[in-house]
Amino acid sequence: MGLAKRKSAYVEYAQAVPLKYAIDPDSCIYLKKGKCGACKKFCEADAIDFDQKEEKHTLQVGSVILAPGFKPFDPSRFDNYQYANLPNVVTSMEFERILSASGPTMGHVSRRSKDKAEPKKIAWFQCVGSRDLNKCDNFYCSSVCCMYAIKEAVIAKEHIGEDLDCSVFYMDMRTHGKEFERFYENAKTKHGINFIRSRVHTVNPVPETDDLEIRYVTENGEIVSEIYNMIVLSVGLETSPEIVSLAQKLDVDLTEGNFCKTSSFDPVLTSKEGIYVCGAFQGPKDIPQAVVDASAAAAAAGEKLAAARNSLTKTPEKLVEKNIFGERPRIGVFVCKCGINIAGVVDVPGVAEYAASLPYVDFATDNLYSCSQDTQEVISQIIKEKNLNRVVVAACTPKTHEPLFQETLINAGLNKYLFEMCNIRNQNSWVHKNNPDLATEKAKDLVRMAVSKVALMEPLKEAELEVNQTALIVGGGVAGMAAAQSLSAQGYETHIVEQNSQLGGQALSLFKTAKGEDIQERLSTLNSEINSDDKITVHLNTKLTEVEGFVGNFKTKLSSNGDDQVLEHGVAILATGAAALEPKEYHYGKDSRIITSLELDKKLIEGDPTLKSLNSAVFIQCVGSREPDRQYCSRVCCTHSIDNALELKKRNPEMSVYILYRDIRTYGEREILYRKAREAGVIFIRYTLENKPEVLIDGNNITVKITDHVLGRPIEIGADLLSLASAVIPNKDEALAQFFKVPLNDDGFFVEKHAKLGPSEFATDGVFLCGLAHYPKPIDESIAQGKAAASRAITLLSRQIIFTSGTVAATTQADCSSCGVCISICPYNAPSFLEEGPFAGKAQINSVLCKGCGLCVASCRSGAIRLKGFDNDQIFSQIFSMNEAV
Amino acid sequence: MSEWEPKIVSFLCNWCSYGAADLAGVSRMEYPSNIRVIRIPCTGRMSPKFALAALREGADGVWVSG
Amino acid sequence: MPKDLIGSVMVVGGGIAGMQSALDLADSGYYVYLVEKGPSIGGAMSQLDKTFPTNDCAM
Repeated sequence: MGLAKRKSAYVEYAQAVPLKYAIDPDSCIYLKKGKCGACKKFCEADAIDFDQKEEKHTLQVGSVILAPGFKPFDPSRFDNYQYANLPNVVTSMEFERILSASGPTMGHVSRRSKDKAEPKKIAWFQCVGSRDLNKCDNFYCSSVCCMYAIKEAVIAKEHIGEDLDCSVFYMDMRTHGKEFERFYENAKTKHGINFIRSRVHTVNPVPETDDLEIRYVTENGEIVSEIYNMIVLSVGLETSPEIVSLAQKLDVDLTEGNFCKTSSFDPVLTSKEGIYVCGAFQGPKDIPQAVVDASAAAAAAGEKLAAARNSLTKTPEKLVEKNIFGERPRIGVFVCKCGINIAGVVDVPGVAEYAASLPYVDFATDNLYSCSQDTQEVISQIIKEKNLNRVVVAACTPKTHEPLFQETLINAGLNKYLFEMCNIRNQNSWVHKNNPDLATEKAKDLVRMAVSKVALMEPLKEAELEVNQTALIVGGGVAGMAAAQSLSAQGYETHIVEQNSQLGGQALSLFKTAKGEDIQERLSTLNSEINSDDKITVHLNTKLTEVEGFVGNFKTKLSSNGDDQVLEHGVAILATGAAALEPKEYHYGKDSRIITSLELDKKLIEGDPTLKSLNSAVFIQCVGSREPDRQYCSRVCCTHSIDNALELKKRNPEMSVYILYRDIRTYGEREILYRKAREAGVIFIRYTLENKPEVLIDGNNITVKITDHVLGRPIEIGADLLSLASAVIPNKDEALAQFFKVPLNDDGFFVEKHAKLGPSEFATDGVFLCGLAHYPKPIDESIAQGKAAASRAITLLSRQIIFTSGTVAATTQADCSSCGVCISICPYNAPSFLEEGPFAGKAQINSVLCKGCGLCVASCRSGAIRLKGFDNDQIFSQIFSMNEAV
Repeated sequence: MSEWEPKIVSFLCNWCSYGAADLAGVSRMEYPSNIRVIRIPCTGRMSPKFALAALREGADGVWVSG
Repeated sequence: MPKDLIGSVMVVGGGIAGMQSALDLADSGYYVYLVEKGPSIGGAMSQLDKTFPTNDCAM
């Protein structure tokens, strides 16, 4: 990014995957001038090849997925912010690096000017390169900047301290994602971050200080000038010109904002068959949405290629495992030099020699690179030749390399748990580089500890579990339907359980999508496709009454008007949806002209002729959303009301249409609707939570009173129609949550596995989620998540057999005192009391559900539980063999 | 300051602190070498007996992190 | 299996979206070519310090 210098031979960042050096051809002296080559001389692995040239490869593939991402907007062309001239005006991406512990300032927040001073006052300018047709062509909202600006301000305060003054200058705060509104509220109330609704027009340097003077107009028209130490430009997302030309080459259509064109009903399909899209190229979006799309695109690609599944992948041959029962340990120790990473500090041959002297060690050696393919083969060969039955590798970290070496053991016919890795690089040579003697001593200690542990390791069995190839989907709205179609197209038997008498869920009451597509028409096509799909069984008017089992083997009792049926399935997708809040304010229910957004949609679907004759329509936003007792944004209502306002204007251009709002949240390219509505003459009036509009019914007249945010004066609007944008309320199905052991949040939405990286699945294996039950979202996002849930489910189903980990807890029932502590303490519901047999009433542990955390082991007062692979004697042996060390 | 350095035994959770210790290495941070790490699957596995055993074996401090 | 159907997919871009697509496809039995123009995968997410709203580390 140019914030700091880097060498020509570089690793992008410390956690890069692959963690390999690359050479920057723009700055390498050898590549530019033909001299130097020092790196080639010094590289022990002989990995430098200056002759590598660009090569062309031709690949034959069944589908293509485009995930080329975005480019942060370059604000150099905005002369009013002087980004190009003033060092203390930085972009949000640069500020992100300044905050990062692995960034150029090691996470110490300092200015870019020569003084490198710690700033005391920082301002964020929102919508730089977004929602702006005056200075750039990006009309759209970039969707993510409001949240990242708040985050950066909060983290900056964490780094510098509470005294740091942070102000965010914005037009509308768009915190429409899950848990975002709370984050925003906390930023205001707990962290004291200032939010100022204004677009700053000028930034001027304050002479001789490197400070910045800004001028802006407040909401009540006052011109203010303030001085800040640093300014962060919240730059938007755009598609780079290279990607635009790639799209043209591929004949993929783009939108007005240069994102990939998709339809709401096929949100990851490009205009070209066989080419799918995900991530920010599909539209500006945050990480979870990109992850949802990514899985959806994988599902869409898989649907078309299902017949060729497993035709190009290879399954490694399985070797017979050697039985080592009753044998004394014969340990092999391999000490890695890791080039000079370890050997540059630690006396590796010395450590290997020391290892050879330890009890039960039959063989010890050192390797240049233990992880290289050839060394792997050598190790495997040595295990066989020397008849070793335990292995220690002293090298880097088990976090990255344990699976690789375990694979080597398997290839040598050994159980993979007869292995211990010893960390002499990340936790030794790299952190004690100035103390080679001490580092060598430490390496010997660590090897000794590992040897004593591995001697006690036993072969562990991984339980094999067949995965039932049927999927159950709970909820037959669009998300559930999309998931069902994807599963069926990939060849899986799918059951949809719907408690109502027809499929469609909330979509049944929706008129059009934000892109103007007819929802009812599409829904009826979907319905007939699903009904004629012989792999999908629909159970209407049906509820779940009981769920037993776990990943791969669920047994669910379905009940329909007194008829019970048991369904066996391997995975479950929860798509139970949400409903519209019935408003308790604004006189809802007292007058037929006061209706909810969905009721207005119904009138639009039916083509109600009275809509044409209205003189005035008023929309009130955030009815029940963003309130203290419902602290979330319902995400869909701004777009929905604007869409309906435009529709009313279309039916009667003379109609006066008002939208009363708190922040307009037409994120992404939905922003175009906001612009169109203003052009069409829809009047937008902002209100605050403290100063809500008032609705009066006086005889035949409905009057809405509100304080105009521009005039600052109360105004009265006569309304022939009042449409309330009521909140999206989750069904909060606690019984279902209990059945599948999945959590609900305070608002009643299901809690996904990971807010960013696991949005369509639960922490409970084999259970997935999509649609409104996760969080309010429009149809296109529901469909994408339906497909994503299917994709995640298929990664499990397609394995057919799953193996559980060998490092799980097990009980010795004779020692169990039946206290039940393990049962109450286990986060995964793995322990239970045996119901029959000689040990009835004693605890047992289901190794399929056990994640091997060891909580039950530590809590068992009778010492009846052991954790295989981390057993007491194994850990004690490490402690006891430390005596020479401590 | 005296030359005495405490000997520390640490029990680190595989999923967080152990990874952090790796990251300290990747970032080439430096710290004194008189620490011995025992990797455990989760601090839930930690037992008071491990801490006592380490102290009995001569450790001056036990550090549990996760 | 139809003769012209190829059981592999090319994913263009090694950011978070590309990686997730590639993983899902590979785990579902399709051969994946993940194409990235830079020397490592991770994309824009790897440049972020923390992620909202949980302030989890982006790494």
